[in-house]
Amino acid sequence: MHMANELLSVPVASGTLAIAAAAIGFICRKARQVIATEKLALMGILGAFVFAAQMVNFQIPAMPGTSGHMVGAVLLAIILGPHLGTIVISSVVIIQCLIFQDGGLLALGCNIINMGLVPCYLGYFLYKVVTAGQFSSLKSYIGAMLACVLAIEAGAVLVPIQAVLSGVLVVPFSTFLITMLGVHFMVGFVEGLITVAVLAYLQQVRPDVVLDCLPGKVRLNRGAVLVTLGVFAVIAGAGLSLLASDFPDGLEWSYAERPDQPDFDSVVSNEDPRVAAVDDFQSKYSLLPDYSGRTSKLGQVAVEGVDLSAGWTSFAGVAGSAVTMGVIWLTVSILRKRRPSKA
Amino acid sequence: MHHAHIDKFAYQDSVIHRLDSRVKFIAVLVFTAMVISLPRTSLSILACFAIGPFAVLVLGGIPLRFVFKQILLVSPFVLVLALSCPLYDRTPLTVAFGPFVWRGTLGWMRCFAILGKFVVTMLALIGLVSTTRFNDLLAGLQRLGVPKLLVIQLGFLYRYIFVLIDRAHHILQARAGRKLRNLGFKRELRTASAMVGSLFIRSIDTAEHINIAMQGRGFDGRWRSISKLQIRRADLLFALIAVSFMLVLYVFVKPVLQ
Repeated sequence: MHMANELLSVPVASGTLAIAAAAIGFICRKARQVIATEKLALMGILGAFVFAAQMVNFQIPAMPGTSGHMVGAVLLAIILGPHLGTIVISSVVIIQCLIFQDGGLLALGCNIINMGLVPCYLGYFLYKVVTAGQFSSLKSYIGAMLACVLAIEAGAVLVPIQAVLSGVLVVPFSTFLITMLGVHFMVGFVEGLITVAVLAYLQQVRPDVVLDCLPGKVRLNRGAVLVTLGVFAVIAGAGLSLLASDFPDGLEWSYAERPDQPDFDSVVSNEDPRVAAVDDFQSKYSLLPDYSGRTSKLGQVAVEGVDLSAGWTSFAGVAGSAVTMGVIWLTVSILRKRRPSKA
Repeated sequence: MHHAHIDKFAYQDSVIHRLDSRVKFIAVLVFTAMVISLPRTSLSILACFAIGPFAVLVLGGIPLRFVFKQILLVSPFVLVLALSCPLYDRTPLTVAFGPFVWRGTLGWMRCFAILGKFVVTMLALIGLVSTTRFNDLLAGLQRLGVPKLLVIQLGFLYRYIFVLIDRAHHILQARAGRKLRNLGFKRELRTASAMVGSLFIRSIDTAEHINIAMQGRGFDGRWRSISKLQIRRADLLFALIAVSFMLVLYVFVKPVLQ
């Protein structure tokens, strides 16, 4: 779910970048006063841990061939607290951008907000709210699951919103939203399961690490799992039924035919003169500065001299660029070959 | 170590490698913003913009095959969204491109524009990262006002990423050697969580050792870098070339190509 540069417009990108920078700057200033130098190494290593933990994959039932892995934002937020968790996850996102080129430089603000700020704070908050009061195994179960699912969903919802604000995509908002929600529901669910399991393991082996977040014994028993699944079935059902009202609108355009309107002509096949007229209108007035050979009617290529000359301009642009690159490459490779002989 | 060294080319030496990291970083940032702000349906101007990062990559001696492999590796998410454009925007149009005339839809144009912008901005980013040592980049970022805590965090992270990934490889290999079939979800999950958990504990222990070692050597919370940052004549020249390249394309070539 790394956002790419191309799905954003400059105002949205710079706006989110400013928000993310301000938030990170504020957290860093606050954190610098509180944390000791001993914690610096720990935070750095835990960032690297996130990368390593993402490599540990395991089979998911009901979907043979796919495997899940954890993202780790909520786990770190629960163990380290939301402020340090955010710094660690943000640094992971920055490294993913700079070293692994995953996610664009301008989209860094969006990615920090979607994957760092929102999941860490929301996840921590949800976990604390659910597990408040008397400790019970079931509570921490549901808390961690809820934190993972909702925190990751919240981050995922922001992606289509940012894309739509930028106006780059033509995919209908509701379709994009439903796809993102569906995919990330699965991601969040798996994340929740493994987060709870890791917390339980840590408590067994190093109880001092998770003392604050797990004051009692967590058991992975069948009853707790069933109750958790029940809670999530209800949440998922409610969410889906809310979204379902948008569904027909969203997929309307992808249908070539509509069963409810037998005489509906899709845009692609256009025997109908009315549709052709609409196409004609669209192709005349749609703003396409670069592509000049406009159709007067679909299937008929306009062969006026003006149009084709404009086509030649863009051809010249591309060809010129290609030639320039070739010249640069040749010059450098010749220069490089000469240098060793000189030395 | 089995993983590919992603920034292995950053340790070469060339004209581009010797430039100040701040100049390169700002140039890439401005370049990316400029490419992103291009109209959504113009393709040919993208080819002109690609000349800049291409020249940097070639001058820096980065193998182009490596660059394209890297771009392909990170493309799936963008690819899915770009390919969904033709499904939703079926406004027919005809494109004249030199001697060729192609009849398609606006959706395909948008798809190609998104992919083209992706490739061009990725070229610029790879041009920055594979010609700049990460420590220099961090020192530059700190000079540009990135909080000290974040710089220290990024430095540690970069230093230990590959160590821990290596450890994860060992754990995965151990599991592969012992587990010869699918164990069922419950035991798969339990195994995976034990693996992640032990990785976590080992990370904490490593951090403690590092901390003791650093305290012993007088670490006071400041990140010191051996790299000297200074703007020299070559940096000014590069900045001048970059600015004029982008301005010429944006002011003179862009209106012609539309």
